[in-house]
Amino acid sequence: MKRKIVLGLTVYSVVFLLAGVYVVHTIRTATADLDRLITLHQVEILREHYLVQIQRIQTDLTLKDTSHERTFDTVFRNIVNMGDIIDTCFDCHHSEQGTERLKELKRRTKEYKEGLSRVLTIRANPSRLKAEAEAAFQVGEELTTRVRDMIDITTSRLGEITKKAMNRIELTKNILYGLVALGPLVSAFLGFIFISGLTRPVKVLLESTRKLKGGDLEHRVEGLKDEFGELATSFNEMATSLKEQMLKMQRTEKMVIVGELAAGLAHEIKNPLAGIKVAMQVLSEEAGLSEEDRGVVKKVGQEVARLESLMKNFLNFTRPAKPQMSELNVNNLINTILTFYVKSRSISPGRPDGIRIEKDLQPLPDTMADPMQLQQIFLNLVLNALDAMPGGGTLGVRTFLEEGSDLIHIEISDTGRGISDENADKIFQPFFTTKPKGTGLGLAISRQLIEQHGGSITATGKPSGGTVFKIQLPLKTAAGSTA
Amino acid sequence: MCLLAVSGCSREEKPSQAKVPPREQFLIGLIPELNIFKQLERYEPMAGYLSGKTGLRVTLKIFPRYGNIIDNFRLAGMDGAFFGSFAYALAHAKLGVEVLARPLALDNASTYHGLIFVRKDSGIKTFRDMKGKRFAFVDKATTAYLLTRAYFHSHGISNCKVYLGECYFAGTHEDVVFDVLNNKADIGAAKNTVFNRLAKADPRIANELVILEKSPEVPENGLALRKEIDESLRIRMRDTLLNMHLDPEGKKVLEQFGAQKFIETANADYAIVVKYAEEIHQNLATYDYIND
Repeated sequence: MKRKIVLGLTVYSVVFLLAGVYVVHTIRTATADLDRLITLHQVEILREHYLVQIQRIQTDLTLKDTSHERTFDTVFRNIVNMGDIIDTCFDCHHSEQGTERLKELKRRTKEYKEGLSRVLTIRANPSRLKAEAEAAFQVGEELTTRVRDMIDITTSRLGEITKKAMNRIELTKNILYGLVALGPLVSAFLGFIFISGLTRPVKVLLESTRKLKGGDLEHRVEGLKDEFGELATSFNEMATSLKEQMLKMQRTEKMVIVGELAAGLAHEIKNPLAGIKVAMQVLSEEAGLSEEDRGVVKKVGQEVARLESLMKNFLNFTRPAKPQMSELNVNNLINTILTFYVKSRSISPGRPDGIRIEKDLQPLPDTMADPMQLQQIFLNLVLNALDAMPGGGTLGVRTFLEEGSDLIHIEISDTGRGISDENADKIFQPFFTTKPKGTGLGLAISRQLIEQHGGSITATGKPSGGTVFKIQLPLKTAAGSTA
Repeated sequence: MCLLAVSGCSREEKPSQAKVPPREQFLIGLIPELNIFKQLERYEPMAGYLSGKTGLRVTLKIFPRYGNIIDNFRLAGMDGAFFGSFAYALAHAKLGVEVLARPLALDNASTYHGLIFVRKDSGIKTFRDMKGKRFAFVDKATTAYLLTRAYFHSHGISNCKVYLGECYFAGTHEDVVFDVLNNKADIGAAKNTVFNRLAKADPRIANELVILEKSPEVPENGLALRKEIDESLRIRMRDTLLNMHLDPEGKKVLEQFGAQKFIETANADYAIVVKYAEEIHQNLATYDYIND
């Protein structure tokens, strides 16, 4: 979406930039056309002015020595002005041909001025004066004809140029009007596209949120792309997670109810069982009891004891004790378990059951935890591992502190028969067991205790056979905070 | 539109510029030594330079005839003029103008002389050959005219107009030279500086014309001011002219003008002109300089 917005804004900017450039260009072209026209008209005016000036001088010549003769200063000024006009023409840029024409005009003007100077200064007999005046007048007439011809030609050309320029300016004006009218429409269209692109996904997400709020956990957002697509994926994942959590919560609530019922039932069963146990002990000490009956009574006593143990574990699961935190080192605890509990079962490499222990205990800092509960967890896992290897195998214990985090990792593995993926999720559920005489509460209690410590436990089958339990415990300082 | 509006709104009234008092005009007259337009163009850079250096608004006014400058000097409100030698002698005698300075030409000449010349093929060699011929003068108020008068006077002819076939005043030295060259006149009288300058540009002049007579050397055209001019202004104007060649800008103007520098000039320098006039019995105070 971000890319689309950037792309859209770029397109928008480019469109308006191009339009702006075009407008500036057309204005400049039109201005240049007008400038050229003004210059051409100025040149035309200059030529007309030049012609008028020559005609004025010719009139001065005609009026000379009459009662209407103008003063010397006036005539002189008219002649100087005529010269200035032709000099001004050279200030403008001309083509080579134009410059040559101007040079010729200037040469003729100079000749005319020389004749005029002569007429103004000479004092002679009338015939000589008349001849001089006539000579100058003739030069003036030739000049007049030449300039008039130039004016006729250029006026005709100027008309054509003016017409073309005006047509171009008219076209430019129409295009500018079109742009002025089209600009807001294009802006509105582009704005509609951009706003639709933003509001449609938001609307879809809003509707999905409402459906989720309404309890439709099966609803999923589809059809969105880019960043909104990613948001939709997250939304869908959230919905999935929400559904799972809901189911888990329902299950947990059910389990809590069942557990409370079972705990109450267990408590009620425990007292009669104590009575049965005492009665069986008393009965087994009866002297008149045959050996066969004594065996039955003893068997009943053993089963009652097993029921008591089961009840005790069940009550521990349903009403777990609050952890009693103290500073301990996980490695020390594991070493103690391996030393006392495992060796107490008389297992060692070389024995017929052939259990080998592989330890890889990386140095760990001390952490706050309940030593009794951790001992219960580790012992439960170790014993399960040993049970999983009746024919011998390798018991692996590994600890390490994850680099860059505050998690202590404990891995307990065996090389036993392993665990299926299906059972990997179920083994932490209460009363799930694969052992003939198991209660199915050991791993459930272990996970419960680990979670009380803020940790987690998972079980996975190893590709080479066997199972590995991975525990993660947060490293906690004596002050009570996570390290 | 916004920009126009902003620019329109932000436009500030410019404070009215402080009025600079107009510069005092200093009017200088010119005689038609050359074609009047050419003459004006020749002196314009000089006027510009003097304006810049003196703080005055130096303006030029050209007259169509030498005599006009004397007649109209006061009427036209002239402050000064570049006079030819004889015209100065007349103006000094009639108006009391005082000369300040004159140019020193590139060839180190600060004087000129009048010439009488004819076409080589005209067959005119002496005054006798001139009888009944067409004579082109510049003006009565020129040294060249004085030379002609002296020339005929020396040959016992008191009224040359009767002796010659036609006398006319072309008005400029340039026109006289070209009239003789182009056979509009048989004889001409003009100043040597203009004759030589034209000869450089047109080889026909040296090849086809021949000089018959020369006048004595007289001072080149100098600037003379009216006698009422304030002394401090007179000194300022004189010093500006005399120091022009020391200033790069002034030197450039002088080069355009065709001079090295200006040299100081006094009435005494014109004694030769006065003496020359007296020799032919011309009273400067009563001399009739009107071209008829």
